Amino acid sequence: MTEVQEAPSVREPRTVRLVDADIHPAPPQPAVLSRLPERWRRHVERFGRRMPLITELYPRASNGGMRVDSWPETPGGFPGSDLGLLQRQVLDEYDLDYGVLNCLSLLDCHEVPELTAALARAINDWMAEELLDRDPRLLGSIVVPYEYAELSVQEIERCAGDERWVQVLMPGTAFEPLGSRKYWPIYEAATAHGLPVAVHNAGYEPHLATGWPSYYLEEHVAYSFVMQSQLLNMVCEGLFAAVPGLRLVLTEGGVAWVTALRWQLDSAWELLRDEVPALERPPSEYVRDHVWFTTQPIEEPEDPADFARALEFAELGDRLLFATDYPHWDFDSPTQALPRSLPDEVRAAVFGGNAAALYRLPLESRT
Amino acid sequence: MIDCDVHCAPLSLRDLEPYLGEYWREYVDGAGIRVTGFTAAYPPAAPTSARPGARDDGGPAVPNRYELLRGRLFDSAGAPSRVILNCLTGWEAHRNPYYQAAFASALNDWLRHEWLDRDERLRASIVVPTVDPDDAVAEIERLSDDTRFVQVLWPARADAPLGNKRYHRLLAACAERRLVVGIHAWGRTGRAPTPSGFTLSYLEDYLSNPIVVQSHVLSLVGEGAFERFPSLRVALVECGFSWLPPLLWRFDKDWKGVWREVPWVKELPSTYVRRHFRATIEPAHLPAAAGQVAELVEMVGSGWLLYASDHPHDHGPGAERLFEVLDEAAAAAVRAGNAEALYPLLSK
Repeated sequence: MTEVQEAPSVREPRTVRLVDADIHPAPPQPAVLSRLPERWRRHVERFGRRMPLITELYPRASNGGMRVDSWPETPGGFPGSDLGLLQRQVLDEYDLDYGVLNCLSLLDCHEVPELTAALARAINDWMAEELLDRDPRLLGSIVVPYEYAELSVQEIERCAGDERWVQVLMPGTAFEPLGSRKYWPIYEAATAHGLPVAVHNAGYEPHLATGWPSYYLEEHVAYSFVMQSQLLNMVCEGLFAAVPGLRLVLTEGGVAWVTALRWQLDSAWELLRDEVPALERPPSEYVRDHVWFTTQPIEEPEDPADFARALEFAELGDRLLFATDYPHWDFDSPTQALPRSLPDEVRAAVFGGNAAALYRLPLESRT
Repeated sequence: MIDCDVHCAPLSLRDLEPYLGEYWREYVDGAGIRVTGFTAAYPPAAPTSARPGARDDGGPAVPNRYELLRGRLFDSAGAPSRVILNCLTGWEAHRNPYYQAAFASALNDWLRHEWLDRDERLRASIVVPTVDPDDAVAEIERLSDDTRFVQVLWPARADAPLGNKRYHRLLAACAERRLVVGIHAWGRTGRAPTPSGFTLSYLEDYLSNPIVVQSHVLSLVGEGAFERFPSLRVALVECGFSWLPPLLWRFDKDWKGVWREVPWVKELPSTYVRRHFRATIEPAHLPAAAGQVAELVEMVGSGWLLYASDHPHDHGPGAERLFEVLDEAAAAAVRAGNAEALYPLLSK
């Protein structure tokens, strides 16, 4: 176990400059089990979890899909489970003001409601006790039993009083498209508490439209199709019209595609608006008003000027949030990840200002 | 001018009776199977299904007789010198492989006798069975002497991505016979257009096509189809094109990270996509500002685009706005040159 800095060095208050919007903590299995009621601990010990690991569906060709130096020395340790290493490799290394934790451990929700809710509580408690309590730079995304809206709302209510929880986490693919009314109570509860909803791919989509691809390369590029499809669905089902305060953070699904999606939406709406009375405005406006994007893995045009152009087309300068995706293999360093073609003020906003505004962070970082 | 996407379809199975064997005629009658003009994809009264005035001649929106098409496309100035007919019927919804095969053969024979024989400017896509790739290959071989078939039609919504190993023999047959693979919007009725479920609006279904088709692009490149079959060419039909630049930016980047997994992909994915794929210009989903349209076309590359009227469908003014930003040479290439270069059999 890497030594944890229990009290990060006190520094002068400063304007929020660098926020990482996508860090993946991984609770060790015993830490989750010990936080489950006895009835559900026994269940998991006997029957396990019902979905295979995502890396068994699409094996990553190298190092299990992890940054090679992110494996803790602790026997059985898993990347993202060791706070000391997380501090050393991300928070301290880049002098982060804040890092947002997206725990992916429950995005394969194929359990009965009571167990799923118990797992969500256990994971959130682990994050609070082992990470948020021990480093004030860390902020949490509330993990919810998203297939069960009522239980999800309960979990949001349980956590939301604590300002360290800054958003609610949803999977890239659930049992139904994410704009389905089944999930609306979750969006409504998050919005009522001033929390954005982040969507993060988990890799369990059933590929209903075209069938399953064969390789991780396809699967990983297609994460951006999942995001496009979900955003399209949320717009078309009138979610943003129905929950006008909703703020959505599309995480790790790419960015530049939204430009074309906005053109597609407005072109088609001109012809078909009679079918969708809930959409009272050109639908690209809902996208513009309600959606944020994290950078990693950001598209990389051969000509970096194309990237700045695409960003400008999509009016995303105030909607992009820098993210490292620690500890995954395609980790982005804030010193190298973004093209130099970005204007300075956009760059500053992407690295810190946009996240500070979205998550309503104190303008001065905690010391 | 070469029109790479024009639709025709039988109005009912009665039109196909001469081309179906006795068993299948009884099967169709007994089951009451109808060809209804693919209503899920093109609701009869939806503004996108037919241009205003398309039915002024009293015919159905999608022409079922050559005379209707001639009146609409050929009897006015600026008529195309070549037209590629794509016959969409929604028939691929069926799962019975023998019915699929019989129906595909009947459609192709109907196309030959009632369309291609009527006008030497007409070309067509071969309708192939989608359940069993061997049946698709057999249909391609059956028609191999008829070079008026310049393309093989494949639905965007399908059972597996088209580069999948199970389709390699189909791709080989296309490459060998110099047939372009035309992946067309829509496809299997009964397959959801999103990764995880059905939609509640036509708007969403309609806009899913540009997303869905990209999976086939990934698959054909990622499974090494163009290393195996270097002469293979693919047209993306009625699926838009403005999504291309971000796709290539992400595809290239990911390949640089995980190329070990797919050692048969030897060049940048974008190199294959630019060399082996083209897309038709309807629908053209464009930015509102004309200046941005020009920048988009520069990023996509006008060499990647094929003119198509997509008769009788209506996608709004995008295609006209596209031509407004093309210079003369680029406009000529989009109207004809790009298609002539793509379709080896077109000029035969």
